[in-house]
Formats: sequence, structure tokens, C-alpha cells
Amino acid sequence: MKRLHLVSWLAAALVVAACGSTGGGGSSTNSYSGKTIKIGAILSITGAGGVYGPQSRDGANLAVKQINASGGVNGAQIALTINDDASDKAQSAQVAQKLIQSEQDLALLGPTLSNSAVAVHPLAESLKIPILAVSTTGIHIVPDCNFPATTPCKYVFRDSLGEETAIPTNIKSYAEDGKPKTGVLLVAQDDKFSSDGGTIVQNTVAQYNINLLKTIKFNKAEADLSPYVTQAVQAKPDVIFITSLGGIPAKIMTEARKQGWQGQFLGGNGFNTATVSAQAAGAGKGARSASAWYLGNTFASNKDFVDAYKAEYSKDPDQFSAQGYTAIKILADAAKRANLTFSDVAGDRDKLRTAMESVNIQTPLGPFQFTSTHDVKQTVWVIAMDGAGGFTLVHEIK
Amino acid sequence: MDQQLLNAIFIGSIYALFAVGYTLVFGVLDILNLAHSAVFMFGAAITYSLVINHGQAFWVACIVGIAASAVLGLVIEHVCLRPLRRRRAPPIAALISTVGLALIIVAVIEQGQKGSLFGWLWVDGANSVAFPAGTIPNPTWHVGDLTLEASKVAVIPISVALMLALGYVIRYTQVGRGLRAVAENPRAARLLGLDVDRMISLTLVISSALGGLAGILFGVALGDISPYIGRDNVEVRGLAVIVLGGMGSIPGAVIGGYLLGLIEVFAVVVLGSGARGGVAFAALFLMLVLRPQGLFGAQLREKI
Amino acid sequence: MDFFIQLFSDPVGFWNSHTLLIAQIGINSILASSMFVVLYSGQLSLAAPGFMATGAYTSVLMDQYWHTPLGLNIATGVLLAGVLGLLVGLPVLRLRGVFLAIATIGFIEALRLGVILNVPITGEGLGLKNLSADPLGGIYLVLISLVVVLFVVWRLTKGRLGAAWAAIRQDELAALSQGINVARYKMIAFVLSAILAGFAGALEAHLNFFVDPGDAQYGVARAVQILTFAVLGGSGYVLGPVVGALIITLLPWIFQAQGIYINIVTGVFLIAVIVFRPQGIVGRGGLAIIRPAWWPRRAGVRVPTTG
Repeated sequence: MKRLHLVSWLAAALVVAACGSTGGGGSSTNSYSGKTIKIGAILSITGAGGVYGPQSRDGANLAVKQINASGGVNGAQIALTINDDASDKAQSAQVAQKLIQSEQDLALLGPTLSNSAVAVHPLAESLKIPILAVSTTGIHIVPDCNFPATTPCKYVFRDSLGEETAIPTNIKSYAEDGKPKTGVLLVAQDDKFSSDGGTIVQNTVAQYNINLLKTIKFNKAEADLSPYVTQAVQAKPDVIFITSLGGIPAKIMTEARKQGWQGQFLGGNGFNTATVSAQAAGAGKGARSASAWYLGNTFASNKDFVDAYKAEYSKDPDQFSAQGYTAIKILADAAKRANLTFSDVAGDRDKLRTAMESVNIQTPLGPFQFTSTHDVKQTVWVIAMDGAGGFTLVHEIK
Repeated sequence: MDQQLLNAIFIGSIYALFAVGYTLVFGVLDILNLAHSAVFMFGAAITYSLVINHGQAFWVACIVGIAASAVLGLVIEHVCLRPLRRRRAPPIAALISTVGLALIIVAVIEQGQKGSLFGWLWVDGANSVAFPAGTIPNPTWHVGDLTLEASKVAVIPISVALMLALGYVIRYTQVGRGLRAVAENPRAARLLGLDVDRMISLTLVISSALGGLAGILFGVALGDISPYIGRDNVEVRGLAVIVLGGMGSIPGAVIGGYLLGLIEVFAVVVLGSGARGGVAFAALFLMLVLRPQGLFGAQLREKI
Repeated sequence: MDFFIQLFSDPVGFWNSHTLLIAQIGINSILASSMFVVLYSGQLSLAAPGFMATGAYTSVLMDQYWHTPLGLNIATGVLLAGVLGLLVGLPVLRLRGVFLAIATIGFIEALRLGVILNVPITGEGLGLKNLSADPLGGIYLVLISLVVVLFVVWRLTKGRLGAAWAAIRQDELAALSQGINVARYKMIAFVLSAILAGFAGALEAHLNFFVDPGDAQYGVARAVQILTFAVLGGSGYVLGPVVGALIITLLPWIFQAQGIYINIVTGVFLIAVIVFRPQGIVGRGGLAIIRPAWWPRRAGVRVPTTG
């Protein structure tokens, strides 16, 4: 008698469990219930890139938390691992290999720095795993990811607005507003990000009839930039272009103002964080750059993002957090449509890749799509430093 | 062109102040204290943190910053140097142990975040920061085509005054005689009743206080404070300065500092901005090859 | 710790997914051997990164412009590194102790900042693309090279060269008075170390799609890292620096890439080793009370502060 009871209870339990796992009665065509979508992020949490990596991490983690809390991706949970590459190119590549081959991640995010990306992206391409760059904006990301066998690269994407778009947009915008005639370029020649930006400036200025009087190269680890700034100031340009990142833009701007120069600073992505605006303070007021994101942008999904971020981390998000957050949204959307099997990793990676190409979603960056070369198609904001650690909006260019 | 001359003098002053600490330790102990650049950074970071995160007045923060650097000098002595002396290790060993300590000091600051283990020292992590305008008195004057900034101008008399003071102490005081005796021959000094350990501690304290001060002035004058300001270039430039001026010679360090400043700016103006680093190190290399004792050092005793 | 778990439970899988790491250990070991050679002969030379750069750029440029086979490219890189070693060694080998160290720092930075960053053919600050790189397959070449290098260096230390080097390291003047041609043996060590560093540089470039002239690649930071290998492992035996390289390269992995703590740990290791066990991990002898014999007696200058 008891055994019969036990068996029927067991059978009933099994039936209930089976019903439960199909997501609440009825069958959905794309149920990933109980599965895990593994994503690996390679970010610079420590080292020189440690200024940006944590923001990307925080944005991505927030997105993962939100998505998992509201049912995941068709029932699957996202498991995001954050892996520090210590801003070291070699370590970045080694970590990537581990994530791809040992962890069997479905997709990768990062790495933070352009210097590391030129080592990691070709590796990802050759091992056929989709990788989404969340902060690298230099050349050699897409479509040419530095992998000789395939151009355009198939597996490399980026959601971080490239300098090839940002810098010309910024220059064009100021050319219309200020009508400058002359400029001087200050570029850190041993920093890929800065050098790339410098090249873009040089290639763009002629279009807007700005005469580039001088290109002044220096090393990014230089303690003292005054002789370079003096050279720039003595040439009396209308504009000074600064394509560096880290502590350098603020130093240049402060020194130039001290030496009495009154003209316009134009920069690249290196300008777009609050720390740089704060360090430059009054000297940076009015310095312009083109940004992939703006705190006060009026897209609906941005306000939700900003509020959630502030609630979670007690501070404002920045461009890097927005791009990290968006990256997860992109991957989640692609995963939803990709018909993943969760048993054939290689096949899944490929399906994910294909699905990513057709992403079209609302993000804090606005409506987001990839171009045919996996680059970013989005609104660009031209912003100016407000002299007090923040930014004001100058133009919004769709 | 004239502004460039001023630039050379200003950066030369910082180099000089930094190098005096370096060369003092070398002169007395025969070792290169490669943690000096970390102390330089530490002084700047602590001072900034005190003003911005702990709300102290700038002058108070400076004094505490210098004192903290001096304490760090004691740490260098007790952790890196004394155990090696006990063991009669060759001077190169001290080079390595100070490199190790420098790594630790930089990492501690780099690690500082709000709420982290070292957050009471520094909260800006790997970021570069500057004193916001108004927190420190730093007026700028324009004289014709030239720009003069109070903090940069102040460095010159400070460096010169310190050099003179140090020179006076070494030449005319009891303590100075003790230091010279230790520099000449520690064993004999001990036999003569000098507390060699204390002399050495004093050397490190003075050297590190100077280093910290140089860091503070650097942070204020150049508007850049981060965990990396010692490591990036200032450290190796310090080496170039003491090589040029003569290792162990304090006047040499000062003159060497200005000399390097002039060489670098000359390179930028005449050869092009990219030449600065290359020329500085080429000068270092050449000086070592042609005249290893530098401008003011004594003749090297041993050469094959 | 799951790093070790995977290593022991699934060695094949571990190998497959960590070839880049293992290859880097191999390269760092060759660099460590380069350091071993100069330290064994009593010279504190920090010039390795400069020779690495020479090997790397030569090899990649030859491939880019002349499409010559890899072997030839590496060989040429190595040869040029050796020649440069000779040219640099001539003036600096008279210097002792810290002076030699500083001179070599001057050399590598002058090369990096002055030459590489300003000569258009090297791509200057942007670096060079290396289209024939083989990050995953290159490991075999690296490991075979490592074995060969270690064997060669070991044999040399066992022979007359090694004996001469040891004598020079102990006491240069005494060695001279025994009739050893100190200058020549020092030069041999220096050039050999340059060759090894050039080799390592060329191999490393082969593993990377991109060669860049950053400080972490070919600057003082790299030189200090290589010195750390030798100090930690000990430079009394050939395998010493190799062990040091192994440990330092693996540190971030063992501590799960907590980057900053890595530096603190490395710093503590350095101080602890140099204070308590200066002969290094592989060195003979217990904890240190006496001065190790493997460094020159004097730094080369005693400046009397006559005030």
C-alpha cells in the first residue's frame, strides 16, 4: 500500500516538474529554461586601463542582474565572468584563450584597451568566437581586426563609437560653429589610442580648411608636458587637438591656459570621462569632444538605465558603463533569437554571431544597430566640459 | 623661445630636488634607493588626499605629507636596508629590495578606493587628479610673453635653499661630520663610536622628506597626481641627473637637474618633440661612457 | 586555485586552452637565461629589452617587406642583436655594478624612445602588424628553442667559459691577476645574453599579431621584470631564473588575476628573497646569513663627500 502511494506521489511530482519546466504551461518554441549563457569579459580592472575597466564592468553587471531577475533570456540565466587583464597585452590574450577554450564561453566582451585588443581580437577571430568590444575606439578594431586571413572580420563587433566617426564629427561640428583656420595637434606617439586619433585628425582637417600648423609628438609617460605646450601655444593656433587619454588631456589644457592661450580644445574619446573633466576643471571648460553617450540624453531607455545605475552603485554612470550595459543587452537580444542548442559550442557561437548582425534594440545609447562592418550606428553627442567635472550638451547628431 | 627656457628651469628644479635625495643616499650608503620615486609619489598623493578627502588646509597637508614621506624613509631603512647591512650584502641587493618596496607602495596607492583597505590613504585608484583651482594658492603672472606660475617659481628658491642648508649641515655640523664619516668608511665610523644605524636612518629620513616635498611641488605645479607619477619618467630621469652631476655630489645633483632640464628642452625645440626622451638617455649613456663620475663626482677608483 | 585543479585533473585540456600562457612562460624563461648569463659573469646588465626589440622588429620587418621564411627572419634578428650587443658592450663593460645597470637603462630607453619611436619604418608609436604571427602554433617552436637554449647555456657554464665567468664574478681583479682575459670573457657573456634576448624577442613577436614599443614591452618595466625572474629564482644555476620566470608569470593566475595584489605579492617576494635567501629559490644553501658570492665586491665608486 505504502509503496503504491510513494510511486504515485513520485509520478505526480514528476509531472508537475515537467509542466513547470516548460515555462508555465504551453510550449514556447525557444525555451532555454535551466540553461546558462556563459559570457566572459576581459577588462582592465587594474593597471593603467583601470580607469575605464571598472565602469564597463559595473554597467555590464547591472544589465546581467536586471535580465536575470526578469526571467533571463527565454529562461536561461546569463553568467558573466569579469576577468582582469591588468592592462597587459600578453595577459589579455592568455585570459582570452582560457575563456574560449577552457571555460567554453559563448561570447566575449572587451578588452578595455586598444593595445590589448590588437592581440585579443585576432585570436577570437581565428578561434571563431564572437567578441564585442566595449571601450576600444581606435583603428584596427573593425572591420580590420588585424587578422590576416579574414577581412572584414566576421566575429569582431564593437559598440564603442570609433574615433573614425567621433573625431571627424567633433571637428565638423566645431568647424561650423567656430570657423577655425589653424590648429596644432598634440599626440602621444607611444600610445596606440592616441596615435590612431592623431592620424584621424590629420586626415580630417583638410576637409574643413583647417591648416594643421604643427604635429607635436610626445611620450605618454612624460612627466612634464610644458615644452610641448609652449611649442603649441607659440604657434598661435585657433584650435589645439588633444587625442590622448588618462591624465594627459587635463595637464595639457591646464598648462595651455596658464600660458595664456585662449583658443578651443578639441579632443577624442579621452575627454569623455568625469575624472578628466574634474582634473581639467576650469581650464577644460568648453573643451569639446564627440561622445557615444550623454548623461542627460532623452532616450527612454537611458533614463531607466541612469536611475537603476544610481540606485545600484550610488554614482552616475558614464560612457563606459553605458557601453558595457548595452553590450549585455545586445548579446541577450541576439541570444534570444539565435536558437542556441547549448550542446554544440562552436555551432552556438556561430549562430550567436549571425544573430548579432541583425540586432536592433533600444539602449541607453539610443536605438542601436551594427553597420555592415560590425561598427556602431548610433546618435553622436557633441559635448563640452563644463569646468566643474561634468559636461554640457552642444549638439546631438543622429 | 624664452618661455622654453623658463620651462627648462622649472622642470630642472623638480629634477634637482628629486635628485638631491637620491644622491644623498648614494653618497652615504653607496646604494641606489629605487624606492625614492615611490616616496615622491606618496608625498603628493597623501597631501592631495588630506586636502580633498579629509578636508585639511593645504599647509597642514603639506607638512603631514612631508612627514609621512620621512616615515616612509624609515620604513625603507628598516625593511629594505638594515637587514641587508646586517648580512653584509653587496649594494646591488639594496637596489633589488628597494625595487620591491616601490612596487608595494605604488600598488597600495593604486589600490585605494572608497571603502577599500587603503581607502584612508587615497580613493582615486589609478586615476590622475589635480588640485581643484582655489584649494591651493597658485597665482600666475604674465610678464611680456612669459608665463610665471607661483608654484613653479617657488621650486627654485626652495631647491636652492635646501641644497645650501644640506650643504651647511654636512660641512659644518656634528651630524654632518657623522654622515661624512659613515660615507667614507662605516666600519671605522662605528669603531669611533658613531651610531652608524642612526646616521643612516637620518639619511633616509632627510632624503625621503626631500623626495616627498618634490612630489608635492610636482603635483601642484604640473597639475597631475596619480600612482604612476614617480614611476613614469621621473625615476629614470633622476638616474640621469645623478649620473650627469656625479653620484654622491649634492651640488652635482642640483646642477645636473638643471642641466638635464636644459638638455631636454633644447632637444624638443631644436630636434623636435619626439627627441626628448631619446636625447636624455643618450646623454646619460654618453656621460657614463666618457666620464662615469659625472661632472662633480670623484674619480672612479676601479676600472678595468 | 582552480587553475591547479584543471592542470592536474585534465592536463591535455589544460594544455590546449593555455598554449599562450605556456608559450609566454617559455619566452620569459629564455629571457631569464639571458639574464642568467650576464649575472653569472658578475654583470648587472638590464639591456635585454633593447635586444629583444632588435630581434622582434628585424624579424617582423623582414617578413613584411621581403616575405622571407621565419627561420631566416629570426636568425637575422638574432644576428643583429648580437652585433648591437658587441657595439654597446664595448664602451660599457668597463663600468661596474650600478653604473653598468644605469648605462644599460640608458641604452634601452634611448633605443626605444629615440630610435624606434622616431623612425618611420618601425611604425613609430603605432607599432607593426605581424601578419604571419602564429600564436597558437608557435608554442612548439618556443619550447624546442627553450630546451636548446638551456642546454647550450648549461654546457657553457660547465666548461672553461663558465669557470672564467665564475672567477670574474667572485673577484674581477683577482681573476685578472690569474691571467684571465676579463674583458674578453665579459664581452662574450654580454653578447651571448644579447643574442638570447634577441631570440626571445623574435619568438615573442612571432606569437603576436602586433609589435608595439611600449614601456611594458621593451622599456625599463620589462627589464625590471626580467631581473625579478633572476633574483627570485637565483642566478647561481641555469634553472634558477627559469624557475623565477615560471613563478612570476603564473602569479596572476594563481591569485586569480587580482592584479594589484599581484604587485604587492611580487614586491614582498622580492624583498623576502633578497633579504633572507639571496641565492634565490634554486640556489644552494639555507637562509642567508652570509653574503652571497655571486656579486662583485664593490659597486665601483666610493665618492668621498669631502664637503
